[in-house]
Amino acid sequence: MIGELIGATIFGLLLLGIHRKVIARIQGRPGPPIWQEILHTLKFSFKVSWVPRTASRVLFVGIVLVAIAIWVVAYLVVREGGSLLILFGIYMLHKIVEHGFGLSSGSPYGKFGGVRSVISAASEIPLFVSVAGIVLVTGSLLISDITAWQAVHGPLLLALPLAAFAMYLVLLSKMPWGPFSIVESKEIVSGYKTEHFGIWRAGLEVCNGLKTSVLLYSFIVVFLGPLPLLWVLALMLGIQVSLSFACALTPMLAPFDSVTVQSLVAGGLLLYFLALGVIL
Amino acid sequence: MEKTTALGIAVLCGAAMLLSAAGAAAGAVPPILAAAVLVLAFPAGTIALFVWWSAGEGEEDIPFLGY
Amino acid sequence: MNSIGGPPLFFLEFGDIMIYFSPYTVALFLLALVFTVLAIVSRPENQVEILFGTDAYYGKEIDVPEMRFRRFMSIACGLACMGAMVTGDLFDFTLFVSLVGICNVGIVAAVKTKHVQNAAFQYGIVALTATVPLFGGAAIAAATTGTLSMIALGSGLAGPAPFITRAALVLGVMGEGMAPFYAAKAEMFRAPGAPYVIMCSFSSLLIFLRVVEVVLTI
Repeated sequence: MIGELIGATIFGLLLLGIHRKVIARIQGRPGPPIWQEILHTLKFSFKVSWVPRTASRVLFVGIVLVAIAIWVVAYLVVREGGSLLILFGIYMLHKIVEHGFGLSSGSPYGKFGGVRSVISAASEIPLFVSVAGIVLVTGSLLISDITAWQAVHGPLLLALPLAAFAMYLVLLSKMPWGPFSIVESKEIVSGYKTEHFGIWRAGLEVCNGLKTSVLLYSFIVVFLGPLPLLWVLALMLGIQVSLSFACALTPMLAPFDSVTVQSLVAGGLLLYFLALGVIL
Repeated sequence: MEKTTALGIAVLCGAAMLLSAAGAAAGAVPPILAAAVLVLAFPAGTIALFVWWSAGEGEEDIPFLGY
Repeated sequence: MNSIGGPPLFFLEFGDIMIYFSPYTVALFLLALVFTVLAIVSRPENQVEILFGTDAYYGKEIDVPEMRFRRFMSIACGLACMGAMVTGDLFDFTLFVSLVGICNVGIVAAVKTKHVQNAAFQYGIVALTATVPLFGGAAIAAATTGTLSMIALGSGLAGPAPFITRAALVLGVMGEGMAPFYAAKAEMFRAPGAPYVIMCSFSSLLIFLRVVEVVLTI
């Protein structure tokens, strides 16, 4: 299992590297090599590191551990077919972790990144309505039950395209350099990551790699059903490239617009699922 | 943190993860316990490993402090 | 109930009050525990502010009595949160959630800055108002089905709770949790003390996560 975790982390970092490469090619730049994010993580992990004087020391270090730990939990939940609610809870919780990263340092840039992460979390919470849709259709929230349902009825993607769309939007909002990545936009330096340098940043990169793998893997498991490993990896790559296109072709929204778009989509979905609940 | 302490923590975490995974595979350890060990030990082990290999030996140059 | 948060691992009975640990509630409980411990052991950071439009910056200090009070409130908030995560009783849940709301107001109101106090006052009004749908929802469930136990409601023994109960519970939790109304208020974050401010947003998130399970179960 530990091998799988390390593999998932490295594959996630590779996907992030491909993400950068695709964005760069679309924008007419050569772009970094695709293994750049892996090198990045290693480079940061070799740097001399300390804790800034203004930071809340325990929180500054502890939040890095929490960030990695929650995505290990998420990986285990998807792997063992646990409850989808835990997984979605972790998606939300990641925003609070970003918030913790930002606030723990005392830096104004980190703080603004942290504030933005909570704002975007507030607009993502309503995406939970897609959970209600999944319960309505499959009658369960356990990933093992959902995959069993899909073995009989075919992919959930066809039964609930709008829920899949909501989840795709969540994936998009968690990708770096995308339209909704207001938490790390350049006018606030690096947002919540600003003060976490050296090994703390390397820890954050490990978390990001694992996060990317788990996000894409869970999307495939929940909406397309159980597939052979090679298919899963190919589909993860495909979804990642589609996300890269979306990221490269849309400008980063202003924080207000980002929240408005997410809230409008969530509101629309809520109405749709309420109607669905009445019909079913 | 001392360099050797960091290495000790990293090795301890790695050993705990491997032992619990092996135990769970053999049926001696309940899977939920193995999962808990993994969740606790993976982040701690990773950071301890990073601390170990980034820790100085006390022979570095004085960093350049600017003009 | 099995199909929502995973099969229950353990039941703890206090008379007819039931506490249950499913993988979901256990995960949330442990997270609340971790963040409470972080709030206990970590000291507030020294926030650095930039003077707008200039290159100047200044540091903020937090005095010890204020820090102590906010830490106390954060711990109370964490405990209330842990209670709300594992309880299997609708009334207990609403009680814990309202306690989370009170503690959140406390964490924020301890900061003696005009803007922060204003934000705390407004949040307090919303939290107070939200107790009406919150307790009202539980009361309607008790009146129509005769039980407050989530397990009885979920198993279909007492029949599902009416739709209005679920709507009222969600509305109440949204009011008690700070996130939906006050996440965007910069005043909230002018207050230094990261571990405590995080406890505010964290607890609102947790009660929201739990109410999703509760609403889908009952």
